[in-house]
Amino acid sequence: MDWAQLWEIAVAPDNVPITALLFLVPFFAWFGLRQARANDRLIEQLEANPEMAKNHHRKVQPWKPGWVREVQVWPYLLRIEFLAVLIVTAILMIWSITLNAPLEEPSNPTLTMNPAKAPWYFLGLQEMLVYFDPWMAGVVLPSLIIVGLMAIPYIDANPLGAGYYTFKQRKWAILTFCFGFIGLWVAMVIIGTFIRGPGWMWFWPGTTWDHDRLEFMVNRDLPDIFGITGFLGKGIFGAIVVLLYMTAAGFGFHKLFNLNEFNRKIYKRMNIFQYVTMQLFLILMLSLPVKMMLRLLFRIKYVWITPWFNI
Amino acid sequence: MPENPAPEQDPVINSSLSRPLLVSSLVVFLTLVWALADETYFMRPWKQYQRRFVNLYTAYLKRIQPVQGRGEEAIRKSAAYQELDRQIKEAQKAAAPEVSRINREMNEIIQPRLSDLTAKFQEVRGHVSALTYDLETTASPSSKKSIQQEIDKVRKERHELKLAKAEGSGQTERVEWDFSQLEQEYQSLKDRKAQLTSELIRAQAPETELRQKLNTYVKEQMTGLTREQIQGLVDKMETFRVEIKQIHVKEIDLVDRCESCHLGAREPVEIRKADMRGEEVFTSHPSRDLLKIHDPERFGCTPCHNGNGIGTASVEKAHGTYEHWLWPLYTKANVEAGCEQCHAREIVTDHAETLNQGRELFRGQGCMGCHRFEGFDREPEVLQTVRQTIRQLDMERGDAERDMNRAFQKMDDPNNPAEELDSLKARADQLRVNIIRMNEKLEQLDMQSRSLLLEVKKVAPSLKEVRVKLRKEWIPVWIKNPHQFRPTTKMPVFRLDEDEIQAIAAFIWQSGVEGKLPEHPMGNAGRGKELFETRGCMACHSVGEGSNFQGGTFAANLTRVGEKANYQYLVRWVHNPRERTRPYCALEKRDIGPEDYARHGKPFLFDLQHTACPNDGYTLQVQQMTVMPSLRLTWEEAQDIAAYLMTLKRPDATYPPAPYLDDPQLKAKGVHLVRNYGCAGCHEISGLEDEGRIGTELTKEGSKPIERLDFALLTHEAKRQGWYDHKGFFTRKLRQPDFFDQGKVKAKLDRLKMPNFELKPEEINAVTTLLLGAVDSQLPESYFYKPEDQRRDIQEGWWIVRKYNCMGCHVLRANQQTVFITLLRYQDPDWKEQMPPQLVGEGARVDPEWLVRFLSNPALNDKDVNRNGVRTYLRARMPTFSFSAGEVDKLVRFFMALASQSTPYIQPKKDLELLTEAERTMARQLFTSKGAPCLKCHATGNAAHDARATAPNFLMARDRLKPGWTLRWILDPAMIAPGTAMPSGLFRREGNHWVFNGPLPESFKGYTKDQADLLVRYMFEFTPEELRRLGAGGVAD
Repeated sequence: MDWAQLWEIAVAPDNVPITALLFLVPFFAWFGLRQARANDRLIEQLEANPEMAKNHHRKVQPWKPGWVREVQVWPYLLRIEFLAVLIVTAILMIWSITLNAPLEEPSNPTLTMNPAKAPWYFLGLQEMLVYFDPWMAGVVLPSLIIVGLMAIPYIDANPLGAGYYTFKQRKWAILTFCFGFIGLWVAMVIIGTFIRGPGWMWFWPGTTWDHDRLEFMVNRDLPDIFGITGFLGKGIFGAIVVLLYMTAAGFGFHKLFNLNEFNRKIYKRMNIFQYVTMQLFLILMLSLPVKMMLRLLFRIKYVWITPWFNI
Repeated sequence: MPENPAPEQDPVINSSLSRPLLVSSLVVFLTLVWALADETYFMRPWKQYQRRFVNLYTAYLKRIQPVQGRGEEAIRKSAAYQELDRQIKEAQKAAAPEVSRINREMNEIIQPRLSDLTAKFQEVRGHVSALTYDLETTASPSSKKSIQQEIDKVRKERHELKLAKAEGSGQTERVEWDFSQLEQEYQSLKDRKAQLTSELIRAQAPETELRQKLNTYVKEQMTGLTREQIQGLVDKMETFRVEIKQIHVKEIDLVDRCESCHLGAREPVEIRKADMRGEEVFTSHPSRDLLKIHDPERFGCTPCHNGNGIGTASVEKAHGTYEHWLWPLYTKANVEAGCEQCHAREIVTDHAETLNQGRELFRGQGCMGCHRFEGFDREPEVLQTVRQTIRQLDMERGDAERDMNRAFQKMDDPNNPAEELDSLKARADQLRVNIIRMNEKLEQLDMQSRSLLLEVKKVAPSLKEVRVKLRKEWIPVWIKNPHQFRPTTKMPVFRLDEDEIQAIAAFIWQSGVEGKLPEHPMGNAGRGKELFETRGCMACHSVGEGSNFQGGTFAANLTRVGEKANYQYLVRWVHNPRERTRPYCALEKRDIGPEDYARHGKPFLFDLQHTACPNDGYTLQVQQMTVMPSLRLTWEEAQDIAAYLMTLKRPDATYPPAPYLDDPQLKAKGVHLVRNYGCAGCHEISGLEDEGRIGTELTKEGSKPIERLDFALLTHEAKRQGWYDHKGFFTRKLRQPDFFDQGKVKAKLDRLKMPNFELKPEEINAVTTLLLGAVDSQLPESYFYKPEDQRRDIQEGWWIVRKYNCMGCHVLRANQQTVFITLLRYQDPDWKEQMPPQLVGEGARVDPEWLVRFLSNPALNDKDVNRNGVRTYLRARMPTFSFSAGEVDKLVRFFMALASQSTPYIQPKKDLELLTEAERTMARQLFTSKGAPCLKCHATGNAAHDARATAPNFLMARDRLKPGWTLRWILDPAMIAPGTAMPSGLFRREGNHWVFNGPLPESFKGYTKDQADLLVRYMFEFTPEELRRLGAGGVAD
């Protein structure tokens, strides 16, 4: 176990946000969920006792006798925000004093750095380049991510859960977010920082990043395994496999979505476009981990090979 | 239900945030304080350095002030000082009335009146000037007119003012003047003031001059600074501003802030570590001479020292000893690496002994056999280029000749019209001119290639001669570990397996050329030992190991040479080491034997006069490529020395038989190995004459990115242990060349090939210094030391001096050691005069034309070659090096440049006044007088006398010496060559000429001319007849 190597990565000024991310993302996820659970209990309480619902209550805290009806923004919210401002200011000040900008030597075109890493917030994109060809990973998927995020308000047919923390009323949305953001995006950032070493090779944490390391890995395309040659054959075979995946994934998501009563209600509220759009993005999102598995576990490079694009 | 349970407190309304708010406000405030402190203090450590420096330096200055003051006091008490002081006082007194008159007028009349007038005058003038500007810049005529009117008005306006009266009574007068009156008065006062000032200077001139004299006197007498100067420094420290001190060199866009901490570097007082309470950072630059040559205002600091000149945040940042600064400060041990960048053309650089040692090792150990390094061993490359140019020109000439012939043929054609005939004729003529020009160029190139052929040398002996030279069984033993047989050898240890050794040995043995050596009888070993120790062999060679070691390290240690060598070969080698068994033809790429000569009906004869290949006329390599010269020994002497060398062996030395050396299968394997290990880099080997270098080029090795240095599996260890840098790589590689193969799994031939030279730590450091300095410089061309004047001759000359080890025998620079000085035999005072001559100032002594002749043939005689040309009495012999014409030329220019002689040298002999008959008689008498028995020591050509002579023959003076030097020499020889046997004080100064310092012959009565000059003129007219005449006078004894 090479602790020195691990320490070197963890404390590099460039990587400070990511090391912080390691702790902060779980913390805030837990913190948010705790609040959501408290609210869920309140919702249960209110549903069980409709009388109580007639009383005034704040959305985030169960009502207690003697409490005022409404709390003003000033001073009760702003003083908390001001406190947050002070704390964040102090953190930023200390950070900027103790860690200088990580300037390195002048660039040398004949000798590029290895590993050459994107800024931390783009490490996820860089990691995707391992699994898809640059056209997919660099252009198509990032665009789809943005379009998908923009589409969320339009496909969201759930009227509940706006303006307060809740898990129960927004299970589907929260789980999708956890999967897409924490499970994929944050995880890929962390892989890019801690695991990808020289030559963009996979180094488990605690192994030495050796520039001279050699790794034996031969990737193949899925059609090759089935002995399919020729452009047409590969194209048709790939299209069939991709279609099969999409059908299977769509069917799976449909089953998953209709698993409980709440979602079934939502499903009924959705029109066909909303549902198809949601399905499309879910299928695409799932394709990333599927492709990662294929690559990392089965050394499969591409599934669908055409002269114009590869998937 | 209990009534009204106490209402629960509302957490939003009732909770107080004041504590967290207070705490975080405090934290923010503290971070603000921290930020300010960081900004002003922690990030600027140089501020503290500067404050400390001011304190320490002031204290130091105050400490030395009284000491210097006492010295100054002593000077003040000296008679010369007192006299000057008295003169100053007198001059002061003499000038006093005039000075006081001037001062009175100046202070009582001019100054008060002027100061009363100035304010008003300037005000009005300002007004007029401003209006005039408006007038000049206004376009419209109407406003021009109105402004002009206003100007006139202002000029006419009268101003009332109170002025001190002009006669200087101290009273004032009231006047009312307009602008022109004001101006007039102002101007006249100014003029008078200037006049008075110049009068004052004139009146005080004698005093000022004397004062200057006094100051110069004090400065010359003082060692270090005067009290006053030190006080000046103390005052400077009082007004010292804490700020970044930087050198900005615009030309190379360099900013060096080193002096923000190293404040004492350029102070006029020498500051040592102890003077600053052990703070080394404040000491002065250790070499002021270097700073004088390399003014920091032009060179900065980092171009020589490396490091991050802009950095001031911490010591590490500024010195560049952190990961991201590529060129960290050179450590003290390697500080001379900084010289190499600009002085890359040199092999000897003044002030850089470590670097020089590194270069000498690089050259001497034969590193350039495998590693190209610009400047080292350039002859083969130049030779190749020249040969290529010759081939190309040859082809062009052939084309031109064909074209010309074609043109001639066409001209003969009767069908050609007349106008075409003319153009053909013109073309043929043009071609003829071209051919002539090409022929000339070819002739030049041919000369150059012959010259270069002589200059190309190999570090190690030729392996073509092994069959005639060596004992067969010895070869594998040697290859296995040369250091075991000869600990000081340059041949490095290769990491070879037993079968590799056998294969290499077999290849070398079988690739040797066949030849018959003439049979010589066995010589006398006793006489040989004597000759070996006195003829000069030991200037390069050594004998004995450990404490018995004696001799030079330039060439091989011969302690066990008798175990390996063949007597007959040694005789030939000692007699003339350049003699080859067979000449080599670079065109056919093989050694030419007697059969080739026989085929063309020619005798098997090849030497520097017979160099044409019998097969194709190509110039042969007729010499062995060794720097070992011929000592012009007789065959008997050579036999004696060879016989002595054969006795140098261990009595119990045995070698196992090695029959495999004749196995032809092993030979095939061996050639592959020899190629792989680069043996041909240093040795001449049959079939491998044109092998390239196998190593990496090192010319820019110092600036190779660290990632390109292969630390292999040790990279991480190096990083953690702090030697992941160029120095760490070089030192480890040199100490153990296969160091970076550790842990690697490689096929035998893929492993690191560099052999182990077993260098000492200081030698490793020297070579490391050279490599660190070998950088791809970013400085502009003008910074490189590439002089085009005599300094260039010095640069080039050192290469040859080093190549042939001239300094083994001769002292070329003051205080230099030669091998002879260390030899036991020469410790005896009687042998001191047997030492080879010192050559300090040789360029001033000898005529360059003569030197050319001498260097080409030190015997100065074509027939009687077994002798020295100049100092026939010396047992040590100036060898014949067979220099090429180019090398002789460079050496002569080197000596001339070293003595700052102007070139070309024009003999002034014709200007020497001819002796009159009377003068000749006088000189003759002086020459033979008891007071100056010149011929007692100087050789005369009489064998009996010359055996005891210790100085050269006068007959040579005319051609050999320069008259100016000769005169200086006879006046004070000890000044030119300390320790010479030539007596000093032969002449004394009388009036404006020199007279002989001893009993003068009668005839000198009434002779008023310079007597030293007389003697010099006599020497330059010396003839054999004159010498015989003197000999007849019975002086020779």
